[in-house]
Amino acid sequence: MKSARKNSKKSSARAAKAGRSPRRAPSPAPRGKASAAPRKLPGPEANGTGAAIAGPETAYSILRPDGSVLPGRDPGLPAEKLLALYRTMVLVREFDRRMLVLQRQGRIGFYGPIKGQEAATVGSVAAVEPRDWIFPALREGAAAMMRGLPLAQVIAQLVGNSLDRCKGRQMPCHYTFKEGRYVSMSSVIGTQISHATGAAMAARIRDDDVVVLGYMGDGATSSNDFHAGMNFAAVFKAPVIMFCQNNHWAISVPVHQQHAAETIAQKGKAYGMPCERVDGNDVLAVYQVTKAAADRARAGGGPTFIEAVTYRRLGHSSSDDPDRYRDPKEAELWEQRDPIERMKRYLVARKLWRERDDVALAEEIGEEVNEAIRVAEAAAPVPPSSLIEDVFAEVPPGLREHFAQEFPDGPPSPAHPHSH
Amino acid sequence: MALKEFRLPDIGEGIAEGEIVSWKVKPGQKVAEEDELVEVMTDKATVTITSPFDGTVKELKYKEGDIVPVESVIATFEVGADAGGAPAAPAPAGEAKPAPARAPAVEAGTPAPEASGEGAGEGDADGSDANGAAVRAAPAARKTVEVPRPSSVPGAGHAVAEPGKVLAAPATRRRAREMGIDLHAVEGTGPRGRVTNEDLERHTAAAPQGVAAPAREPVAAPARPAATPAKAPPRPPVSIPAGEREERRPFRGLRRKIAEAMTRSKHTAAHFTYVEDIDVTELVKLRKEAKALYADEGVNVTYLPFIMKAVVAAMRRYPELNSSLDEANNEWVIKHHYNFGIATDTENGLVVPVVKDVDRKSIVELAREVQELAEATRAGKVSVDQLQGGTFTITNAGNIGGLFATPVINFPEVAILGVHKIKQTPVVRDGQIVIGDVMYLSISIDHRLVDGAVGARWMNVVKDCLENPKKLLLGTL
Amino acid sequence: MTLIEAVTDGLRTEMRNDDRVCVFGEDVGKRGGVFLATAGLQEEFGPERCFDTPLSECGIVGTAIGMAVYGLRPVAEIQFLDFIYPAFDQIVSEAAKFRYRSGGEYTCPLVIRAPYGGGIRGGHYHSQSSEAYFCHTPGLKVVIPSTPADTKGLLIASIRDEDPVMFLEPKRIYRSVKGEVPEGEHYVPLGKGRIVREGTDVTVVAYGAMVGVCEKAADAAREKGRSVEIIDPRTLVPLDEQLILDSVRKTGRCVVVYEAPKTCGFGAEIAAIVAEKACEYLEGPVVRVAGFDTPFPYTLENLYMPDVRRVLAGIERTFVW
Repeated sequence: MKSARKNSKKSSARAAKAGRSPRRAPSPAPRGKASAAPRKLPGPEANGTGAAIAGPETAYSILRPDGSVLPGRDPGLPAEKLLALYRTMVLVREFDRRMLVLQRQGRIGFYGPIKGQEAATVGSVAAVEPRDWIFPALREGAAAMMRGLPLAQVIAQLVGNSLDRCKGRQMPCHYTFKEGRYVSMSSVIGTQISHATGAAMAARIRDDDVVVLGYMGDGATSSNDFHAGMNFAAVFKAPVIMFCQNNHWAISVPVHQQHAAETIAQKGKAYGMPCERVDGNDVLAVYQVTKAAADRARAGGGPTFIEAVTYRRLGHSSSDDPDRYRDPKEAELWEQRDPIERMKRYLVARKLWRERDDVALAEEIGEEVNEAIRVAEAAAPVPPSSLIEDVFAEVPPGLREHFAQEFPDGPPSPAHPHSH
Repeated sequence: MALKEFRLPDIGEGIAEGEIVSWKVKPGQKVAEEDELVEVMTDKATVTITSPFDGTVKELKYKEGDIVPVESVIATFEVGADAGGAPAAPAPAGEAKPAPARAPAVEAGTPAPEASGEGAGEGDADGSDANGAAVRAAPAARKTVEVPRPSSVPGAGHAVAEPGKVLAAPATRRRAREMGIDLHAVEGTGPRGRVTNEDLERHTAAAPQGVAAPAREPVAAPARPAATPAKAPPRPPVSIPAGEREERRPFRGLRRKIAEAMTRSKHTAAHFTYVEDIDVTELVKLRKEAKALYADEGVNVTYLPFIMKAVVAAMRRYPELNSSLDEANNEWVIKHHYNFGIATDTENGLVVPVVKDVDRKSIVELAREVQELAEATRAGKVSVDQLQGGTFTITNAGNIGGLFATPVINFPEVAILGVHKIKQTPVVRDGQIVIGDVMYLSISIDHRLVDGAVGARWMNVVKDCLENPKKLLLGTL
Repeated sequence: MTLIEAVTDGLRTEMRNDDRVCVFGEDVGKRGGVFLATAGLQEEFGPERCFDTPLSECGIVGTAIGMAVYGLRPVAEIQFLDFIYPAFDQIVSEAAKFRYRSGGEYTCPLVIRAPYGGGIRGGHYHSQSSEAYFCHTPGLKVVIPSTPADTKGLLIASIRDEDPVMFLEPKRIYRSVKGEVPEGEHYVPLGKGRIVREGTDVTVVAYGAMVGVCEKAADAAREKGRSVEIIDPRTLVPLDEQLILDSVRKTGRCVVVYEAPKTCGFGAEIAAIVAEKACEYLEGPVVRVAGFDTPFPYTLENLYMPDVRRVLAGIERTFVW
């Protein structure tokens, strides 16, 4: 304990000294050698916290925050793909904003915002094939949209009505979309990690050309399922990409209180799998790193662990107020690393986009979201009989009998979940 | 144009209430969907809520600093037809139960737990007619299966069992039922006097077939005492099935709200009650004339409007009694408007509809309004708006009887006036003992704010007005 | 064939039958399991379908869930039921909820096999009977065989079931109980109990290793003139309520025997069902003969476990009370 405290004090002093120039040009770290970064540039998250944790500058990136490309790193993606990445991120941002508004108006019960993390999800999902499976955590709803879950159904899940694929049985943001191989998640942190491993093991047993993309947050790396899932993945050489969105906060606990290692990425090493530490706000870097991991998995090279360094700019959820536990300046610093702005500058520099194109895009997306809200809110409530369905493949007679006994005149008509 | 209500949403997984930190809009202001509306602080977070409507703010129902229960209407909007695809309100207006900010005026629409009889006496519409007590049916819902019947055979065999209880296995009970045997009549030989299957057989073998009484003979209710003729029909005695020593009624809804309000009042306000007798001989005459004058218009002029006017007169002199305490801000709020709650007895309990702006209405207007409000309240049709905004409360036990009561303040108001029965009493007038009409008035006051002397002086004004009612008409006060 | 051989037989039969079935757990591969339940399976089906895992129960169950969601029919072995608690979250929060929480989109057809129960001098951590925890979780089926034939038939039915099944094996009788087992295809449907022996005076409900104890007690009771009917529900979830109720309505008396701690044990649920649905047929109290509300003891396990004497005494309590 003592030495740990001493260390953190020392690094705090160092952070304070160097902390004046958080926007200094990033020093690119060599790929695949995350833990070998000896030079610690304090990230904005070190602002006053005394963290001994590497900042975002040491993560692998392609785009500088100003949108310019680091020499020799342009992945050369076709214009169409680049524009699609941009459009999706803009859609996700607007969707996120609107859903939080609906929550504040009492039209949905809860929402877990994504703001600031768009590139991490969009870039990684874009890097795998539609046949690959996705095991999401809380902030990867964008993955379901990218896999084709209609926006109205996404919103219906937040409302919890008959258009919701979960049939109103899960809290908002717990989407499911089987056709898109986007797997239903629970709220228990980390459990999906070993599911992702298991699915990848199954794909290998069946000799299917399928890779699994498993998501988690920084907090989940403390869970026992992280250990089990990572270990099994490595031991069985499962074709899985373990993708950690290090957004620096697990509700109110900062990442440097979550673990004491220098990076999250380096944990992969201990399990015996390749690891990458990527700038999560750089959609091109995320894409490239994930694509490489997917290629390796497909070729029988086993799992890869990716730490995407990003930031949760808003609260953990609509029930959370981050100003109660963190300095608002921190989020402001991360605004300067905004993933969407960065990508836009790149596109503008490449003459693929004009600033004024944003107006039409915003209008188009606004209408798309409006229409989806209209459709979602118009759906009927979940029928009462749904209460006892899907516990098992067939409704057990005892359960049916109990239901009939409690509601001899039929169950009361269902209420809208948000009008009590 | 349509009126839309905006209810405080549950913005944080099961919060119960939120404090209005600041309003971002004013009544009359035009707003677009997503414009900032209000900042609300809850246990979990402080959040800014935006408007779900395009339209005009009509009314803000709460002040900054108010604690508002989730689902309360906090603002209303005029939403224009031209607003087009404006989304529906989260909950359609009128669908939810009214949830006024403070008890006891709530849940007027709660259905009666028991069927009300036909005899609900239509009283004087005097605001607080307690004769409206419904004839309550016997608690029919209570099942009377296997009510133990007093045994015709003295319980020789029941020595060990609890009196009135027969011990038997469930299967033995079923068998007895099927055989038409009353278990009380069977001598039990099992442990602790338990009736066994063998005992049943022995019993049937011993008794001639006709003697075994059918077990499920209906239990006769005790005969009602002969009704005593009275001016107002008293609540008839409730018939209790034999063997039931108590009945259990649900404690919820309005009853519970009243309980909470009364407890809060009694635990918070420092009650003292001041009583005065009023010689209302003149008022009785005046009211008699007024009643006749307006009977054709269907207005029942009672004493209450006169009393309300007298109270206004007294309030103008001693406004301290027309006030409330804002403990959160350490401020004593003196009201210069006169909204009087009229405690109204309903089938489910006391409800307090409010007559607004008493000072600006004539006695006849007040009479009509009190009458209508009382009817609406008893019918459960009173609106939330009509239950809110009171500054002072009047409660009337006058047409039931009694000498005087010490009413409980309708917190957070600071005072409540009790009105009592007018009785013909010998009074001394000009040195002569004559028969006069006399009524007691009692005022309960929160001593934290108002001292006794102020209360007494206030009462003197009321007394003066009511003893010289022409002053009320002439507006000399 | 012994009960443990019936487990192997059931696994082998279904692995031959369905190439989606794979079997794994700690020591199940080369060694064939610490009780030899999976002996020979790796040789026959290869290390892809029968393999050893790292030593982590939550990993075993977590990955099994991933496989089941993907479309395989995993059969995971937990070496002793006492070790299952690290995987408890995966079982109750994940496996049991997948179908419901996804509106029926995703299912989790897996089997978790675990030896359970006392009587092998295993002390606290090799003897527990924690079936009730799982019965209390909607979405899980719980199966407990008591004969070799049932073991094979129920195991095959469990593997074919579309929902997660806890398959709990009474290890005390792994080798002590022998019986005829049909060769090849043998299927015993979940939710159908078995009348172990017919009787007229009292119904005894028991499962797993307690069935044999109750049979001996029934023999002893016959000498006293009591005719005992024994019901083995075979699956606790879904429960064959009708079979139990029919029997109790016939005899008018009911004893429930289970080796788990008495309070909130599954026998308590059976007692409640009888009280609720057969009340008027009862000639006496429903009696539980169960383990004590203590951790499982090592040297005093013979005192802890319900035995013939205690079952007999329980039967008597339904007559004399």
